[in-house]
Amino acid sequence: MFWQQLVNGLTLGSTYSLVALGYTLIMGVLNIINMAHGEIFMFGAFVGLLLVTYLKVNIFVAMAGAMVACALLGILMEMLALRPLRRRAVSDLAPLISTIGVSIFLENLALKIFGPQSQTFPSGALSGVQIQLGSIQISLVQIIILGISFGLMFVLRFWLSKTRVGKAIRTTAESIDTANLLGINTNKIILLTVALASGLGGIAGVLVGLSINAVEPTMGLSMGLKGLAVLIFGGMGNITGAMVGGLILGIAEVFTVAYGASSYRDAVAFGMIILILFIRPQGLFGSSTRKGGRF
Amino acid sequence: MDVILNQYYLQIAIFVLLNAILGVSIYLTLATGQLSLGNAGFMSIGAYTCAILTVKAGLPIYLGIPIGGIAASFISIIIGFPALRLTGIYLAIATLGFGEVVRVIVLNLKVTNGALGISGIPTLGAKIGKALSALGFPHGVGGLTAQQTSNLMVLVVLLLCLSFLIFFCTRLNRSRVGRAFAAIKADESAAEAMGINTTYYKLLAFALGALIAGIAGGLSAHLTFFIGPKDFAYNRTVEILTFAVLGGSDLIIGPIVGALLLTLLPELLRSASEYRLMIYGALMVAMMAFRPQGLISEETVRFWKRKLGRGMKQ
Repeated sequence: MFWQQLVNGLTLGSTYSLVALGYTLIMGVLNIINMAHGEIFMFGAFVGLLLVTYLKVNIFVAMAGAMVACALLGILMEMLALRPLRRRAVSDLAPLISTIGVSIFLENLALKIFGPQSQTFPSGALSGVQIQLGSIQISLVQIIILGISFGLMFVLRFWLSKTRVGKAIRTTAESIDTANLLGINTNKIILLTVALASGLGGIAGVLVGLSINAVEPTMGLSMGLKGLAVLIFGGMGNITGAMVGGLILGIAEVFTVAYGASSYRDAVAFGMIILILFIRPQGLFGSSTRKGGRF
Repeated sequence: MDVILNQYYLQIAIFVLLNAILGVSIYLTLATGQLSLGNAGFMSIGAYTCAILTVKAGLPIYLGIPIGGIAASFISIIIGFPALRLTGIYLAIATLGFGEVVRVIVLNLKVTNGALGISGIPTLGAKIGKALSALGFPHGVGGLTAQQTSNLMVLVVLLLCLSFLIFFCTRLNRSRVGRAFAAIKADESAAEAMGINTTYYKLLAFALGALIAGIAGGLSAHLTFFIGPKDFAYNRTVEILTFAVLGGSDLIIGPIVGALLLTLLPELLRSASEYRLMIYGALMVAMMAFRPQGLISEETVRFWKRKLGRGMKQ
């Protein structure tokens, strides 16, 4: 029972980590919280669903499609809602409010296009194979989620620390002005980061849609809030924090459901935030200085 | 007279005033440059506390509403203390999460009646109507029907609340506390260097905002007969935020104008009402890009004063 719950928790948590990584990337580079990330995630789930349902494509192709669609959505958001704000000095709150605007717009657009009811993936999308490992049962979906999430997380880590573009992203995160002086095209890097974060959100959308087999316009809000919780819990703009924080949140939620208070599941995330703000306000892996320790 | 005082217009006017009060609640927190996204949560606490006290414990409304406000403000201090020690966006996220927690708790508690919400809350209008007939005016006053009179009285009560709040805020702005708020908004580190206890003042502004949101919640419970957890969800917070974004949060008049416009516009554009939230979203993005200070800022007021002043001299 315990190990089974742990596996379920890890699976759920790895999707939270993926969502939180999207927040973290944008937070690290632009120092803003992208409140529309949850809605981009939801659009990813819908794009994946539509591709599987109508074009009958393989689930992995659907994930790639969702990633591309969300990356484009992210680029659009960057150009329309974020870039105009960078041109002039505005308060910290302006990008936050602007992205809240984007999130409300996207959620209601989805309600208009896809309707309020929850939709499911066609039954043949992924076989419901169950694998028995000792006393633990793992479904194929869970394995795919775990594999893809962890795979993406490690690729991202490696890419950020070792490649040229990754280094440019980290430089931009340190200071946009300095990066500019060093000859980095920061606008391009920012665009790339937002597209990358949104693409990750899109993949997470398809994965979550698969695992709970329900895709609805309001899923973005609840998932987005959890991603935010992980962002604060793990430490703003810290990638390790996002990964570990997501896993902890997933496990905590699964155990809350398993041992009693199932209806309080959605409150766990924010209980955790309030607790961490009391004990360690900079988050699990955050450093106490504001700028240091990014990524 | 009947045309102006029909039920529909009175109802809209009541909601304009209620939203204006909510606008004041977000203005107070923004006065220190902090964004609180928990106003719907505080409203919810105020509304439920008040409704439970009046419906289940039989407390009079005029006691229930302030108690609801105080409850909301008390909880805001507990939440605000850790969140406010950090800068800027932490409060926004912590309060956003707090709103969700309140919603989940309200959904699960027995005393709040879960997803069904509390119905049969005595409305302010009905209470006033009863009081009027007890005073010997069972058919209304001055040629108005009983319903019109009581609605009008509700309007007066709300107007008094709002005027008091405006008075309070303008007085506050000229006091030591108000100047501390303005200093923190302009530059938090500089304010701290000047010897202002920034945490204290930020917490004060936050708690005042929560108090007013709680009171508005109590009022809304007694205006609509029914409250449910859905009334105080994220959308409500965004709506309140839009008042301040559209109207501007430099001056108290800003969010009030925002509330007025955003409550009236959907009524005028009935056909577009299903796009209301989409329009809100686009509006927020556009405002931030083109006019982040909102429609009314201090410069706007100065500009019009100068212009009108010159006009009068000629």
